[in-house]
Amino acid sequence: MTHFNDIKGAATRREFLRRATALSTVGAAASTFGIQLAAMGNAAAQTATNYKAVVCLFMFGGNDANNMVLATDNDSWGRYFSARAQGNDPIALMPVGTPAVAVGSVSPLTGRTVLNRSFPEFWGGVLPLNNPLTPNPVPPTTSASVRTFGLNPHMTPLQAVWDGGRLAIAANVGPLVVPTTKAQYQARSVRLPSNLMSHNDQQSTWQAGAAEGARRGWGGLMADAFLSQNGTNSVFTAMSTAGNAVFLAGSNVVQYQLSTSQTTPAIRINSAAANTTTVFGAANGGSRVREIIRDLTGTSYFMQDYGARVIRSQDAADLLNAQFAAGSPGATVAAPAQLTNPISGNLETNQLAVQLQSVAKIIAANSVLGVKRQVFFVSIGGFDTHDVQNASQAPLMARLAHAMAYFDTALANLNGINMRPQVTTFTASDFSRTFTTNGDGTDHAWGSHQFVMGGDVRGQNVYGNFPSIGVNVTNGFQNPDMSGNVFVPTMSTDQYGGTIARWFGLSDTQIASIFPNIPNFTSRYYDFLNAAIV
Amino acid sequence: MPQGPPPTQVEAARLLAQATFGPTETSIAQVQQLGVSGWIDQQIATPRPAVTHQAHIEARLVELGDAQANQFYETWWRQALYGDDQLRQRMAFALSQIFVISLTDPVVDARGAGSYYDMLSRDALGNFRTLLDDVTLHPMMGRYLTFLGNRKEDTSRTPDENYAREVMQLMTIGLVELNADGTARLDSGGQPIPTYTSADIAGLAKVFTGISWYSPNPTNNTFGGGGADPNRSVTPMIYYPTFHSTSDKVFLGTTIPANATVDVAGDVRIALDRLFNHANTGPFISYRLIQQMVTSNPSPAYVGRVAAVFANNGQGVRGDLAAVAKAILTDPEARDSSVVTSASFGKLREPVIRVANWARAFGARSQTGNFLITSTSANTSLNQTPLTSPSVFNFWRPGFVPPGTTQLGQRNLVAPEFQVVDEVTAAGYINSIQDWVNNGVGSTPPNGTGRDVRPVDINGVFYPTEIALADNPQALVDRMNLLLFNGQMTATTSARLLAAINGVTASNPITDTQRLNRAKTAVFFSMISPEYMIQR
Repeated sequence: MTHFNDIKGAATRREFLRRATALSTVGAAASTFGIQLAAMGNAAAQTATNYKAVVCLFMFGGNDANNMVLATDNDSWGRYFSARAQGNDPIALMPVGTPAVAVGSVSPLTGRTVLNRSFPEFWGGVLPLNNPLTPNPVPPTTSASVRTFGLNPHMTPLQAVWDGGRLAIAANVGPLVVPTTKAQYQARSVRLPSNLMSHNDQQSTWQAGAAEGARRGWGGLMADAFLSQNGTNSVFTAMSTAGNAVFLAGSNVVQYQLSTSQTTPAIRINSAAANTTTVFGAANGGSRVREIIRDLTGTSYFMQDYGARVIRSQDAADLLNAQFAAGSPGATVAAPAQLTNPISGNLETNQLAVQLQSVAKIIAANSVLGVKRQVFFVSIGGFDTHDVQNASQAPLMARLAHAMAYFDTALANLNGINMRPQVTTFTASDFSRTFTTNGDGTDHAWGSHQFVMGGDVRGQNVYGNFPSIGVNVTNGFQNPDMSGNVFVPTMSTDQYGGTIARWFGLSDTQIASIFPNIPNFTSRYYDFLNAAIV
Repeated sequence: MPQGPPPTQVEAARLLAQATFGPTETSIAQVQQLGVSGWIDQQIATPRPAVTHQAHIEARLVELGDAQANQFYETWWRQALYGDDQLRQRMAFALSQIFVISLTDPVVDARGAGSYYDMLSRDALGNFRTLLDDVTLHPMMGRYLTFLGNRKEDTSRTPDENYAREVMQLMTIGLVELNADGTARLDSGGQPIPTYTSADIAGLAKVFTGISWYSPNPTNNTFGGGGADPNRSVTPMIYYPTFHSTSDKVFLGTTIPANATVDVAGDVRIALDRLFNHANTGPFISYRLIQQMVTSNPSPAYVGRVAAVFANNGQGVRGDLAAVAKAILTDPEARDSSVVTSASFGKLREPVIRVANWARAFGARSQTGNFLITSTSANTSLNQTPLTSPSVFNFWRPGFVPPGTTQLGQRNLVAPEFQVVDEVTAAGYINSIQDWVNNGVGSTPPNGTGRDVRPVDINGVFYPTEIALADNPQALVDRMNLLLFNGQMTATTSARLLAAINGVTASNPITDTQRLNRAKTAVFFSMISPEYMIQR
């Protein structure tokens, strides 16, 4: 029997080759993996009774998760601190319980004078998380009775979500083909994902299981299974607030771009608002605008596909805006509060929270739209902190926590309904970053920690294997989980995504098709989500 | 090259759509007079505008007391719309999407951006090896890709790998080995062959250490950013041997042995030579430049012909970008007019270039002379602003196949510019262009009224030439066909435009306001037509 991962790998490579060669090979497309799945998907379409939504929150650039989720036992912390309190602008955070030091004062801990707000001493210690409900095993290298964890000091809003049992941490997640040990990675003795540590390829791999050029993402493929359930408004099955994302590309599902406008969720083409719209002194100019922009008769493939998107834009805008007229469910989602930027000290609008507000509005209107299953994509950029990581990452951590907590709160009462159990939000990023610094920043790495949030999340727990903490020291500590400065993942993105897909309501067979590497792992799923009640 | 018959108006317009920011009556006549090859040669010889980007920004800095990204945009638009060296302007724009820095990053300041774009303009029709040197040593690239102030390795730290990775992946050799025609080389198992490993990146990263800010008196302090020289963001970076790695540097099959004598310049020269001479670089760059100017899916043979000119311009010189530009534009695949009906030939016009087309075609003038056009990055605007892409990966990827498309996607054709096409941007463009066709574009001049950049004559009359044609709607349509559609308007579109123009309420006799409405109708309906959107 041919293994799915070989088919997908080969199909992806053929597609990759076509891109590299700039050839179009007629007919070869018929054998691509995604089209096989579409046939399967239709045959095995799921029946959904409840509404569910998945939100992918993508952090572009590769978030340094080593400074987002911290192991706070003394042993781990000591090694963390000595590794990162280096260079001209050290990125080591302060231990739990350290009071913030004012600008101009000297830190009793580090002895440095705090010159500005981007000094970790200014932020105070990492935020302690209440212990995981299920204790995590202590690695043999670590001298501690129990593993304890903390969050980046700018993530206060997430502590309550954790305590409420709606936030889980997935530890050391990354793309893998097969389970991979440090030794196997160093020897290159097992198949590895392509182009590790390359931004665009890893963004594509997290979203679509393969390097740049992949054509179908697992969000879109999940949505394919339920597309027929979404009725006449199935155009709103997969929605992004952050531009075209391969995550949402399905075999049949085509993503829809949601505007973050506060007035209307869809951008209307003004000159085509109605047939009778006057345009430059022509009554009924609107009908002529519609005619010309909806013309698909041109010979060019480019024309036809561009025109199709314009048509979709116009038709969907009419549909969506009608649903969101004043008084409709989506109109009642309050805008997020402004956020104080920890570095500038200024109030700012958190664009990530605004994106989640737009998503919340759509979720609020799900019964009006008649959709059962939706997949959303939101994003925040700026995580490629090669330089000045302290000043760069701090606002991003603040925005992430603020936005996620805002969304969690909004979901508690959407039109009087608690939608939290029906929405699962998960974070993703290109990769984590090197454990040591280059002086004031970090380079590209691999295994990373991510958040999963929702009412059906089995929260206040850390899932997977939180790695040993510390860098290899000659004739000293050797980290069994780290190669060079990079964590070798212990939870694959297939398992991470597969768990979410299972909650979404897909069968084991469907999940194995979307995540072809998942059969290579003894446990396909983790426990961070309640089992699906479809 | 034998001179054939002079190009027709339509052939001239087609060339100018590929090689400039848009045809004008004057430039069409020039191409007809000089011929394709002659026009290109003249363009190669045309000097850059007298006022550089940097000079404009510095003048505005004095005038305003501050200079920000907007001041870069001012000079960018002025040169794009009015620079006589249109081919160089278009090439520099293409290179700015390969050697990407972005004003989204606060480390890129306005003067630095101006200096960087001046450098691209200076080298755009020069030699690629020079361009590699100049990009590598420009402080804005040093800041944007974080190797300015990069230190050699020690026990607790390794050098920053950012530039080492991206200069290979995005600017010279790419991820997989290429044949001379740009197709991927395959191993015996039929798989593409990676060009580099993480070890190569780590080795190359060591080369880009000990490079930092210019200072007339360099010290460890200036290396780290202290004692700032006022011109450091516009002056090439210098070498600081103290901070340069002296251990073995191994990359791409080249070894720079460990050396007690530090030679930063020598190490950088060896590294850039290696990238310049790599077999991939010619096809890699040729493919991207063809995509920028002519067509998204060039045949491998076309790529191969251009790459051959990159390898040898005919006088034994490698990397001659003027020769490469000429090869791209004179190639039969670019010039053969039969492709205008080809379903798979051509490309989606970039949003910024559409606006430049409009401004050039209709003689847009700036009230202040400063071309006060600000950011157009909002997705309800153009979703694109020069030198302001979201990341080093540009606005779009060369290999982007639009998902869910029934024509391009089903045939695995790439369409990079489609990466920014979605339901919001499609509507946003139509709304924005309606506004700009009607009112002009840009900010209101201080103490003035209206938009700064308007399609007016010196008396402020909008669309004067089109108004003069407005009593003859067919003539209006024909003018749109030449200047915007490059002669490719179909009968269907022509009939629709005619109907739209005739749909404008017109008294007997027709008033000037109504003539203006007819003109605006002709322009607006053209700019939103799918036929205009695609350049063939």
